[in-house]
Order: sequence, then structure tokens, then C-alpha cells
Amino acid sequence: MTKLRISIIRLIALICLIGALAAAGPPQDSLRLADLSGRQVAPFAVTDPEVLVFIFVRSDCPISNRYAPEVKRLAQKFADKAKFRLIYPGADETSEAIRQHLSDYEYSLEALRDEQHALVKMTGAQVTPEAAVFVRGKKEWRLVYRGRIDDRYLAFGKMRPAPTVRDLEQTLESVSKGKTLKLRTTTAIGCFISP
Amino acid sequence: MFYFSLKICLTVCFALTVLLCGLSAPAQPVAPTFTRNIAPLVFEYCAACHHPGGSGPFSLMTYQDVRKRARQIAVVTQSRYMPPWPPEPGYGDFVGARHLSDEQLRMIQQWVDAGMPEGDAKDLPAAPQFNEGWQLGKPDLIVKMNEQFIVPASGTDVFRNFVLPIPVEQTRYVKAVEILPGNKQVVHHANILIDRTGNARRQDAADPGPGFGGMEVSIEAESFEPDSHFLFWKPGTVPWVEPDGMAWRCDPGTDLVLNMHLQPTGKPERIQAEIGLYFTDKPQTIFPMLVQLERDGALDIPPGKKDFVVTDEFTLPVDVDVLGVYPHAHYLGKDLQGYATLPDGTRKWLIRITRWDLNWQAVYKYREPVFLPKGTVITMRYSYDNSADNPRNPNHPPKRVKAGNRSSEEMSHLWLQVLPRTREDSRAVLQEALMRQRLKKYPADFTAHFNLAAVLQLAGKTDEAVIHYQQALQANPQSYAALTSLGVIFQEQGRRDEAIRLYRQALRLKPDYVNARYNLSNLLLAAGKVDEAISELRELLRVKPDDAGAYNSLGSALAMQGRLAEAVTSYERSLQLDARNADAHGNLAFVLAQQGRISEAVKQYEEVIRLDATNADAHNELGVLLGQQGRIAEAARHFEQALRINPNHAQARENLKRARGR
Repeated sequence: MTKLRISIIRLIALICLIGALAAAGPPQDSLRLADLSGRQVAPFAVTDPEVLVFIFVRSDCPISNRYAPEVKRLAQKFADKAKFRLIYPGADETSEAIRQHLSDYEYSLEALRDEQHALVKMTGAQVTPEAAVFVRGKKEWRLVYRGRIDDRYLAFGKMRPAPTVRDLEQTLESVSKGKTLKLRTTTAIGCFISP
Repeated sequence: MFYFSLKICLTVCFALTVLLCGLSAPAQPVAPTFTRNIAPLVFEYCAACHHPGGSGPFSLMTYQDVRKRARQIAVVTQSRYMPPWPPEPGYGDFVGARHLSDEQLRMIQQWVDAGMPEGDAKDLPAAPQFNEGWQLGKPDLIVKMNEQFIVPASGTDVFRNFVLPIPVEQTRYVKAVEILPGNKQVVHHANILIDRTGNARRQDAADPGPGFGGMEVSIEAESFEPDSHFLFWKPGTVPWVEPDGMAWRCDPGTDLVLNMHLQPTGKPERIQAEIGLYFTDKPQTIFPMLVQLERDGALDIPPGKKDFVVTDEFTLPVDVDVLGVYPHAHYLGKDLQGYATLPDGTRKWLIRITRWDLNWQAVYKYREPVFLPKGTVITMRYSYDNSADNPRNPNHPPKRVKAGNRSSEEMSHLWLQVLPRTREDSRAVLQEALMRQRLKKYPADFTAHFNLAAVLQLAGKTDEAVIHYQQALQANPQSYAALTSLGVIFQEQGRRDEAIRLYRQALRLKPDYVNARYNLSNLLLAAGKVDEAISELRELLRVKPDDAGAYNSLGSALAMQGRLAEAVTSYERSLQLDARNADAHGNLAFVLAQQGRISEAVKQYEEVIRLDATNADAHNELGVLLGQQGRIAEAARHFEQALRINPNHAQARENLKRARGR
């Protein structure tokens, strides 16, 4: 009896361990994304800023494109505190098309590709556009927000004339003021990131 | 929140259906495949916009295209966002309906759940072909916006109107209009209005930048000539071609007003639309009419009100066939209904849109005309949601909203394109009934009094027309159009001085109002004040250099001064601008005859008769000329014809006697 019980406990512990690993995804330090020249970049290996913002986008997603001015505005506003990067998770998009997209929408942000969806899985992003905000912690970066940029879209084709809640901006303001945030998630409306 | 609870509900219902199906048909159905089941749907319902170079943001022409967006496709079809087809099925049978059945939606979901199998390549139907430029082939005439308009990168939707003059030298008949928006991603839909008055040009001049703002354009017509056509464009549809006899008239000086709904895309977008016109030789012989129901005057929606209802009713004074329908509201519109109650009490639905979305507004043409007998009551019943729960509410927090053409204001319009059966003048009968209904709603309304007066004037009910013009002028003393129309009645009644006073008053209010100046010059001409008339006509032609009527009158004035060669030039210019003006042909013939150019004059009279076979004078005068040429038998036939038309035509009788005496 005793023996058996121990083995059950071990089994449970093992499951928990696997679960924890799955939730954390690949460790941040080892995460590599390609830039548009194909070079491997470690997105979390940055020294300066206290905040990392990833915006998942697609070049042909009308909703994520419509957010371009807002993304640029926020990147500008929080330039001192936060490093914004555009993440293109679409394996079907060419680097050339992405360059064209950056130029069309006058983005001056760094663009990275996540064809393997490593960052997609780490953050739990579902659609484009979707934002993930990480804050520098003692050991590793802590995800404090993942979800919509604001509440302008309620569903496909259902949008407000202007947002009433600007989730990403509020998150960045709180973070800038040095508040410690727990992870908050919202549902973003946009083009599904296809598996 | 609402969206997600709905989705859950759908899933539950869906599961239930599957369960029921499973019970009744235990054999597991074969999973749908792309080539056999999905491709035919995508090609029919999606590809018109979603093809390379199409108006959709991405293509859905191949298995790879569809597979990678499969989850998206399942969600947007379930929510009925795509394909965009707002009318409820069963509430009107429309051309180009793109409503997916519940069965089709289930199949898409099953395909996604099954892992999006491609299937056998043999099953794949041929993909539809799309040509990029003009869908109807090369247009007969292309007009282009004279400058680019830039849609800003962000912000709310833009509603902008652009005036495009049509450079035609003579009257043409237009059977189809196509728009190349110049930027398919931005232009959500467009209406075209026909402006024969130069009215929109003035609105354009008053608004800085290319075009002028506003969701709707109102254009006053100077004569009763109801705009009988819906000229509407939306992406992914083949342009409408009018059947024979229904092409619309395009005179020199006509402008098209392109009323566009533009959506920011995230980057500044340049647009410079082109309109292609397709002409036909077949003039308009069938005259449909646009009947408008509306209740803008009752739109006063309190903030927070979730279900504010307005209605309007119109009883048909004649039998009609309804050809098309165009419901219109702005962002608060919720449930838009249009239906007919037949004399026997049965209800016939014309349209219903339960989830109104301005973004997808459209004109809907019936597959088969909907017959509505005289006495049918047409009802418009629109509801509005001015609560914070309506995400499209332009005001946050909600505010009181009244009627207006800005996007923060509301509208309640239901337009029907109807073709009256039987009588010639039924359009006037319809118009009279519409305006009387409008007077019931708005007793001091300028438009109602003015339009009613115009239609009464046309029907020869002058006394009543005068009363309504006077009431129209009470509502708007500055109306140069009402002053002028009243002047016309006085002119016809021989009250020349009163008429001249009204025309001069109208011209003080609006010096470039050509109708008043035209009538004034003709009155002066009739009074023998030829010099004054000529200077008025020259002023008119300075303002409107392509006025065929003014050239005709100027010809007559010059002829009265004996300046025959100049008169001929003036008539010829008039006929260049409008070859169908029988008066100008007749005047030209008369002057040519005076110049001794008999065979040319004969040709002109023949033209008059071709255009107006009932013109007894032309027959008589042609007979005289033929007699001079020795063609006595032909001459006699024309005198006889003149007498058949008008048995009291003394000259023709005399001429006929002489012809027979020879």
C-alpha cells in the first residue's frame, strides 16, 4: 500500500512538472526568432528597456493593418520605457512581402518572424493584431498583458467609431509608473494565426 | 460579450442538430472535402471579391489559400459577417443573393473539424475567371476624378462626394455605369447621382479640398423629372445593365456625383475613381420612378433608447411593379422593415434587415418585379438603438440624435424603384400622392409644397399650383426656383409684368440661375425687346455655354433683327448640343427658307416631323416648300396631314385648296 501511494505521488509530481514546462514554453533565453535577413535573434536578450512589447501582425490582415497608426503612436509614446517589435507569425509570408508591408505602413519598428510559433505559444496569442507585454523580472521577463490593443472591434465587422478602453496603453502606463501587474489577458479580434 | 454568448449558443444548437441527425441517420456521412464541397461554395460566394487583385483583402482561390484561413472562414460565415448579405432570406427575392444556408454553414464547420481534407483533385470545379479592369468591357466614355483624394490612415469612415462632369456634345442614353474606384481596399460602396443642374458643383466649390463631405447628397431638380434610376456600386458585383428602353438620358452639362463611403486602412490611401459610361442608341421609353418613404422628421432619439421606432406609410394611387429597393439608415439603425399590405389585407414583404449595418448598405434588385396593385399600403418601419450597447453608436456616451446627413446623425429612408403600369401620367399621379402624404407629415414643408405645385402645374391645375408655390415661398422666401416656377404660370396666363418681376427677383437671389434668365429673355423677346433679350441670352450663355435652349432663342432674336446668317449658326449650335429639339429644327427650317435654301429647309422640317409627327404647322410649312419645288402631290399630302391633326388649321386648308386647284 505504502509503496503504491508513493508511486502515485511521484506520478502526480511528474505531471505537474510537464504541465509547468508546457505552460512556460521554451525558456526565454533560448528563444530565437529570425529577422528579415534570416539572422537568428534572441528577442529577450536585451539590456536596455524594462518593457518588451510584441505586436503580432500579418501583412494582409485588414484589422491588423488598420491598427498600424495606433501601434506607431504607442511605440512613440513609450519609446523611453518599452521596446516595440512587430512579430509576423505567418509562415506563408515572404520576407520581401514583410519589407514592403513595413514600408507601406511606414513602420520604423523592428520586425521578426515567428514561423515556428515559438513566441505565439509562449504568449498564447491567437490572432493578428494582438499584443504581448513583458516586464523585466529578477530572473526572467514576466508576461503582464496579452490581448487586444483596444476595444474598438467587438467582432468581425462590428466596430466602434473609436475605442472606449485602450488596454495596451493602460498597461504600459501602469508599468511606466512602476506598478507591479499581475498577468491580464483579453480576447483580441482579428485574423486567426493559422497553425 | 454578446458576441461570445451568441457563439456558445450557436455551438449548443449545432451540437443538438448533429445529435438529432445522428439519431435519424446512423450511418456516418462522408466528411466534406475541399475539392468536392468547399471549392464550389468558395468560388460562388467568396471569389468575386477574394481573388488576386480583387476587393477582398486576400485571395481564396486555392486550397492553400482556404486551408490557412479555414478557422477564420468558419467563424465569419457562422456569424454571417461573410459573405455579406444583410437581407433576411424569405423577405424578398433578390438578384445576386449571397446567403449561405444553415446546411452550407454546417458543412464548412464539418470540413474544418475534419482537419480540412483536400479531397480528390478530380472533384475540383473550374475556378471562376475574373478580368481586372472594366467588367462590361471598354466603356464608351470614361470620366475620371480630376484630382486625387487622400483617405487618412486612421479615424472614422469618410463619406465624400465628388463631381464628375460628363463631356458629351449631344444627348446620349446611358444603359450602364461602372466604377473603377482606383483603390479597391478603401471604397466600400458608392452611389452615383445624376445632377442636371450644376447644383453639386456649387456644393463642391463651397467645401475645401477635393469633393465635399456628407453621407447623402440632395440635388434639386428644376423640372419634374424624378430620378428614376439607382446607380449603385459595390465591390464584387457585375454592374447593372438597364434593359432596353430604360437607359437614362444624359444631356450636355450633366454631372455625375460620386457619393463614396471610404474606410481608412491604416495607411494614407489615394483614390482617384473613374466612371465608365456605356451608351445605347435606344432612348428611354420606359420611365420607372423612385418612391421614397421616410420619417426623418420624427427622428428624435433619446440617449439610451434601445428600440426607437419610426414608421411611414404610402398608399399606391396606381398599379406598379417594384423593381428594386434601397433601405438607408446610419449607425443606430437596427431592424429595417419594408412591406406592402395588399388591398385584400395580405402582407407582402419587400425587404427586412434585422442586423442593419451601414457598411454593407446596398441597392437590391428583385429577381422578378413585385406587382403591387393600386390601393396597396407600403409601410416602412425602422427601429434604432441609441444605447451604449450598440457598439456602432457614434456617441459615447450616447446623446440625443436627430435627422441629418452627418454620420453622427440619423436617417430613415426607404426607396423603391417602381414602374407604374398603364397610364402615361402615372408618375405624376404617384408624385402627387407622395407629396400629399409628405404634407400630412410636415404641413409647412417647402419641398412638399414646391413639388406638389410642380406636379399640379404639369397637370394644368394652375390655381392649386399657385397656392402651393405661394406656401412654398412662405416656407422659404429665398427660393429662386419657386419664384421662377410661379413666374412660368404667370407668363402662361399672360401676366407678363408679374412674371418679369418674379424672374428678376429670382435672378437677384441667384444671378447664375439660367432657368429664370432663359424665361426672362423669352418674355422680353415676345415683348419685342430684342436687344434686351439678346443681352440676357448672352449673359446666360456666359454662365452656361452649352445651353441648347438659349442658342435656340438667340437664333430667333437674331432672326428678328434680320441677322439670318448669325441666326442659322446659333440654331446649328443649339442642335449640336441637343439634336432632338424639334423647335430648333423648325426655327432653322424657317430661316433657311427665308434665305432661299429650300432643300436644306425641307430636310429640317422633315426632322421636325420625325421628332414630332403631330406638329400641324410643320406639315403645313413643309407643304408650302414642297409646293415651291413643284412637288405638288407631296405638298398636298402634308396639308392633308396638317388638317388631320388640326381640322381648324385655316392656312393648311387654304394651301390644300390651292394645291388641288393647280
